[in-house]
Amino acid sequence: MDATENIVRLPIYSLPTQPLQQQLYDPYRDTGVPLIIDNGATTLRWGFATSSTPFSGQNAIAKYKERKTNKPLLLFGEGIDTESGARSQARAPWEGDVLLNFDALENALDYAFIQLGIDTPTINHPVFMTERIATPLHSRALTSELMFELYSVPSLTFCTDGLASFYQNHRPQPGTPFTSDGLVLSFNTASTSVIPILNGKGILSHAKRIPWGAAHASDYLLKLIQLKYPNFPSKIGIPQTNWMLQSVCEFAPDYPAKLRELQDPIKLKASERIVQFPFALPVQDEKSEEELARAAERRREQGRKLQEIAAKNRMEKLAQKETDLQYLLDLREARSTDSKREWASKLQSEGFDSDTALDDTIKKLELYVKKARKKEAGEADEPMEEPSFPLIDTPDADLDEEQLKDKKKQKLIKAGWEARMRARKEKEREREEKEREEKREEEERLADLEGWASHLRHQQQALMSKIKARSRRKAALTDRKSAAAQARMKNIANLAADDNKAPKKKRKTGGEDMFGADDADWQIYRKISITAPSSDEEDDITQLQVIENKLLAHDPTFTDQNTHAFLTTQRSALLSAFRPTYEEGDIEGHTRIHLSVERWRVPETYFSPNMAGIDSAGIDESIQNIFNRFSESEKARLVKNIFLTGTPSQLPGIIPRLHNSLRPILDPDIPIQIVRAADPSLDAWKGMASFSQTPEAATAGVTRAEYDEYGPERIKRWWGGNWNGSV
Amino acid sequence: MPPKGGFKKKVAPSDGTVTPHVPSLAEQFSYLHNPRPFKNPNYTKNINRRAKNLKTVLGQDRERDRAERERRKQEILETQPGFNVEDFYEVPTYALIESPPYLMPQRHFCDITGLEAPYTDPATGLRYHDKSVYAAIQSLSPSTVKEYLSARGVNSIVK
Repeated sequence: MDATENIVRLPIYSLPTQPLQQQLYDPYRDTGVPLIIDNGATTLRWGFATSSTPFSGQNAIAKYKERKTNKPLLLFGEGIDTESGARSQARAPWEGDVLLNFDALENALDYAFIQLGIDTPTINHPVFMTERIATPLHSRALTSELMFELYSVPSLTFCTDGLASFYQNHRPQPGTPFTSDGLVLSFNTASTSVIPILNGKGILSHAKRIPWGAAHASDYLLKLIQLKYPNFPSKIGIPQTNWMLQSVCEFAPDYPAKLRELQDPIKLKASERIVQFPFALPVQDEKSEEELARAAERRREQGRKLQEIAAKNRMEKLAQKETDLQYLLDLREARSTDSKREWASKLQSEGFDSDTALDDTIKKLELYVKKARKKEAGEADEPMEEPSFPLIDTPDADLDEEQLKDKKKQKLIKAGWEARMRARKEKEREREEKEREEKREEEERLADLEGWASHLRHQQQALMSKIKARSRRKAALTDRKSAAAQARMKNIANLAADDNKAPKKKRKTGGEDMFGADDADWQIYRKISITAPSSDEEDDITQLQVIENKLLAHDPTFTDQNTHAFLTTQRSALLSAFRPTYEEGDIEGHTRIHLSVERWRVPETYFSPNMAGIDSAGIDESIQNIFNRFSESEKARLVKNIFLTGTPSQLPGIIPRLHNSLRPILDPDIPIQIVRAADPSLDAWKGMASFSQTPEAATAGVTRAEYDEYGPERIKRWWGGNWNGSV
Repeated sequence: MPPKGGFKKKVAPSDGTVTPHVPSLAEQFSYLHNPRPFKNPNYTKNINRRAKNLKTVLGQDRERDRAERERRKQEILETQPGFNVEDFYEVPTYALIESPPYLMPQRHFCDITGLEAPYTDPATGLRYHDKSVYAAIQSLSPSTVKEYLSARGVNSIVK
């Protein structure tokens, strides 16, 4: 069920721990060993040509003032991550595909040279540096200026990275010239280039650059994920999608066929990879059974105590009232014995104005005590007993004023009492009616379950279609041109017209405006109101629920899956396979990203950038374009050695994908061979390092004297260099 | 030759008023105070040249290329009248090697699922795979629709 093997965990990123480690410069001092710099848009790699591998770091710097100590900081590469605020200040030398930010480049190069431990007043090494194919001359001019004037290098050679990597993988025997043929596909951060090579020379005039690179692919994946999971709890950024692109994405050899396969929800589900983001479960203190029981017992105990206290209070109050009552009764007793004066002063001292006040108080107390006693005894008071109204039937003439008042009061009480009794009877009757109805229905059900069920089901269907029609109408009304909206406008127009005509008609014909004579007339106002009458909606839904509950209770074939609620919230198998939902509160599930179609959709953009809105030929179409400018024999030489380089070329499946799209555009007897660089990430650097140590290398670079004479844009024409600005 | 190993310290003795505090991780990573003897102290960077933005740089590149082309054309025509110069001079510039527009047959993909999309919703312009996806499209808010469209590079024009 839950294919756990499909889950990949997002690696938890940890801060770098190794600050700048300076190297010993002594082995290279005064040796003139070439210094190789692969200035990539993502990664800067540097080192002396004799090292086996370069040093490398993310090609970005950040200038930042630490808030606590107010100290300025300068960070390079991964070091930027050590200060959270520095991230936003990060500057990269590259802007997309163009080297543009030379302050950042200067700082990054400083880092590289410091790291190499160079302590001489100049960089006394010939420098080999990568350059984007057909770079704008502005970038070259400023880079040359930096190198010659700021770092005072003796010579500088620019080399295109794709060709350098090709060289590393096709190195000629020492002493023989470099004469390999091939077609280089260089996968960069912000672009992908196709460069034909014949006789060991890059034919840059026929090269093509596709404005789609790994950064775009990663960005596209991010966009797709954000659309699929708009409320994802964790932060998803480029570092995460980069990782996903590298770990779960691949090229489909035949993308349309893959899509047709994925149409089947089961296969779609099987093809997915689940990216589990880190999550923290809320802390739950697990209580044992015993503890829970104890807590409950404690609560009960407390309740009981409270009850006891309340009872005690009640008793005390009652006792107090009783003594009060007794005292007052005793007082009244004294009335007969005491003289009038004595009695009056006694009353005064007790706080009573008159005899009646005393009587009232006694009455109240008696009532209270009586009630409280009853309650104490646990008796329910019985209001059923008909109160007596002795005065009602006596004629007014026989009564004095006081009695008349009482009679009035009794009349009122009697009317209220009678009304209550009537209502009760009514209720009882209704209940009986309902019971009868239910009984009848039950009998019906017992006699013919199927008929009963189908009858109810029809009712359910009718209600559901009513609700559906209402929502459809609501949707239709949002569109001004829909039939429903037009009909509504017509109705409104008619009503308005009637209003105008009515008085005239009245005058002329003396006829009455008959609107409203029929109750159905009023329906017109419901019809033209846009906000559907909500009371109807509610009524329907409650009725629907009643019917569904009956069906659920008695019809064995009617299950939860037949209810209106289920049917309306149900998602298609395809959509639930595409984006499975998790239950509320499933934190692990909610921090998961399911990638299925995206795994192939994102790499496919290399072949159709228009999928992501970039109107440019993809890899295959660009190659076809290039082929159009070569003869058949040259084409054959190129496709015999299609060479992939650059870190993104490591996406799985690219070789069969490319093969599949090139085969149909070539003669069947031309063999196609596609190989990937031995080390797609480092071979550009290694190629330059290898080349820099051949005798030929000396002729490829620009010396300080040449720089001074020809300016910063001039380079020499050689097999690995750019053509623009070269001689 | 400067003294060996003189620059191995992490933080340069800058002003002598270093308060005794534990440097933060970021401070340990900072190389602001590492000496840079290899830099030419007399170099003044040209701030104006450095401040150019991408658009200007690419525009200039194109303009220069055009001027150069024109010049070479004149030069060749002067020496060899009637020569077809269009094929002759070919220097690949940044703009020139850009891939041509996409001309392969357009394939339509579902904006929601990425599957093949035979249909388009006329109200939103979203492409969709089948009626279940259509039902999902119906419940999308206009802003979400816009985001889906912009993922495909279609930016709706406000009418």
